[in-house]
Amino acid sequence: MLNEDALKQVMATMLNVDVADIGPDASMDTIANWDSLRHMNLVLALEEEFKVQIPDEDAGNITSYQLIKLVLQDLLKAQG
Amino acid sequence: MSDAVVNPVTDPQAAALAVLAKSDSTMMQLTQAIATLEKDEQARTVKIGVSSSATVDLLGTYLRKHGLLAGARIEIVAGNYDDPIGDVALFQRAGVEQMVLLPFFDNVQPSFEAQLGTLSPEAVDAREAELRLRYRLAFEQARAMHTIYLGTFHRMGSAADAGGQDAVALVLARFNAALREEAAAFSNIRIIDAEDIVRAVGQVAAFDTRFYFRSKAPYTGVYMNELARRIAAASRGFGAHFYKVLALDCDNTLWGGVIGEDLMAGIKLGPYDYPGNIFWRMQHEFAALERQGILLCLCTKNNPADVDEVLREHPDMVLRDAQIVVKKINWEDKPSNLRAIARELNVGLDSIVFLDDSSFECEAVRQQLPMVKTIQVPAALPDYPRVVRELKELFLAGGIAADSRAKTEQYRQRAGAEQLKAQFESQDEYLASLELKVALSRNARASVARISELSQKSNQFNLTTRRYSVAEVEQMMDSADHAIYSLVVSDKFGPAGLTGVAVMRYDDGVAHVENFLMSCRVIGRGVETGVWPRIVADAVARACTELRAEFVPSAKNAQVADFYDRLGLPLLAETPEGVRRYAIHAADFAAPATTWIEMTYVE
Repeated sequence: MLNEDALKQVMATMLNVDVADIGPDASMDTIANWDSLRHMNLVLALEEEFKVQIPDEDAGNITSYQLIKLVLQDLLKAQG
Repeated sequence: MSDAVVNPVTDPQAAALAVLAKSDSTMMQLTQAIATLEKDEQARTVKIGVSSSATVDLLGTYLRKHGLLAGARIEIVAGNYDDPIGDVALFQRAGVEQMVLLPFFDNVQPSFEAQLGTLSPEAVDAREAELRLRYRLAFEQARAMHTIYLGTFHRMGSAADAGGQDAVALVLARFNAALREEAAAFSNIRIIDAEDIVRAVGQVAAFDTRFYFRSKAPYTGVYMNELARRIAAASRGFGAHFYKVLALDCDNTLWGGVIGEDLMAGIKLGPYDYPGNIFWRMQHEFAALERQGILLCLCTKNNPADVDEVLREHPDMVLRDAQIVVKKINWEDKPSNLRAIARELNVGLDSIVFLDDSSFECEAVRQQLPMVKTIQVPAALPDYPRVVRELKELFLAGGIAADSRAKTEQYRQRAGAEQLKAQFESQDEYLASLELKVALSRNARASVARISELSQKSNQFNLTTRRYSVAEVEQMMDSADHAIYSLVVSDKFGPAGLTGVAVMRYDDGVAHVENFLMSCRVIGRGVETGVWPRIVADAVARACTELRAEFVPSAKNAQVADFYDRLGLPLLAETPEGVRRYAIHAADFAAPATTWIEMTYVE
């Protein structure tokens, strides 16, 4: 199961925003700090914190809270 | 590394530092710890510009990490993509003093490594010529920069040819030679060997191709961490330390066993047999450090006669008496002996690295003298070479000036002079017997590097602690309203090298002493006052009628607080911070007599 609080904490830390700013509709469009460079660090941090390997085709595209949640849930499920 | 238990609630700073010091902290933990520490005041702030032909923003995180570990807040100014010349201008506008320049081989042209299989020799030649020109221009524009850390080129993949020497390897070697050659003309460039970083962290761990093709970001955090660590080492902890002295324990540090019990025949030391071969090898490393200007001392609890006998008689000793500048062989505690070493050599405790096998001794020094860098010989002896490699880096990563070599000989002469001193009736008689000669030079261009180095290193005899980069020294020598005096001292024991610098600024009939500093190994002989009549006469020749000078206190320069009083200058004012300002009419200036010095003047 994905710990959504932990996810929000990782996103807030790596995007350098308050954890309260990471709502369900948070995305690259709503968070000014979320640029392509911070995105790269975010992907690396997500991989480290959730111990998954995010596939190349997803890495560049998971630019919203919902998309990240979806991809992480799939990856964690696949791990069992 | 000590595993002291830190309570993150009561001491968030210590907890954050512990996260930074750990090798396996995640990027998120690092980011949080950096944010915590950067909220606090740090001892120093260093602004670093990063210029590359790859996307290397991750380096900023790791530079900040290694900066904080050395007590410095690092402010990163990011350059544009593949624009070294433009970046230099950008950095200068932003007040950057140090820059990291990282040309990336595979981006010399798109997918350059793959292209090299088909590129014509003429095209490669043309590319090399273009690179040389572009980087030479960037280096020239960056002359005023305090330091440029220049990463060399490296490849991303291995050669398919098992022999290794494929087209990529050949061109890579050529381009790196070209970069090094262009850089060699600039004294503010420090080369960082990127190929060695790839080797050290491993090719697989160094690169993440996912973000390379998408965003030109080839490196992993592992690579960036090692790169930042090496930059921190090359900058001596971003100005935190300047180690000059290695204080060595003897038993189980220089040889295996205890000389007082195992005796000459029983201690383990020699080229062939384990574990003596490890100690023998380490002695060669220490001897090589001594050759490069590091001062070796013994700080050991033994009977002096036992250790002296080993130094003199043991057939496989590499280190002999001549390489040791101070010996503290006694039964006193090590902190006291380290203090005595610092006093005798006239260096700060924070320039000493102490090596000992005993946990007890190491802990005692760490607690009582935290400014001394204490390193413990590992219990597992095969790890000893790795520990000594790290120790060598403390001394050598920042580079060594040619004049720093053979320091031991100079310090020994000083120690010899101290002994002679006792035999003379009066101080003047003693000074006269030294046959002191001082050569004073104005704007000695050949000595620019040494002048800058001395200004960076001297702490105790340093009137304002203003420090000057090579570029600043050159600029002042070129400018009409500055002059830099340097002095070379020698006596009957030999030359002491360039050991004093005065920086003068002339402004509207007033000669200002911007700074005056000397190496501590020549003070107390009247040289420090003896050079002033000539400097003041020069100022008068430039139509100056007044001499002004100031003492700015620092943590270490109390010994010269009254220097200008001793020189005979009237004190004008003293600020609450302890800055003392002096002024005198040039016509009234009369330095204390120093008849025992033979002064020469070199224009």
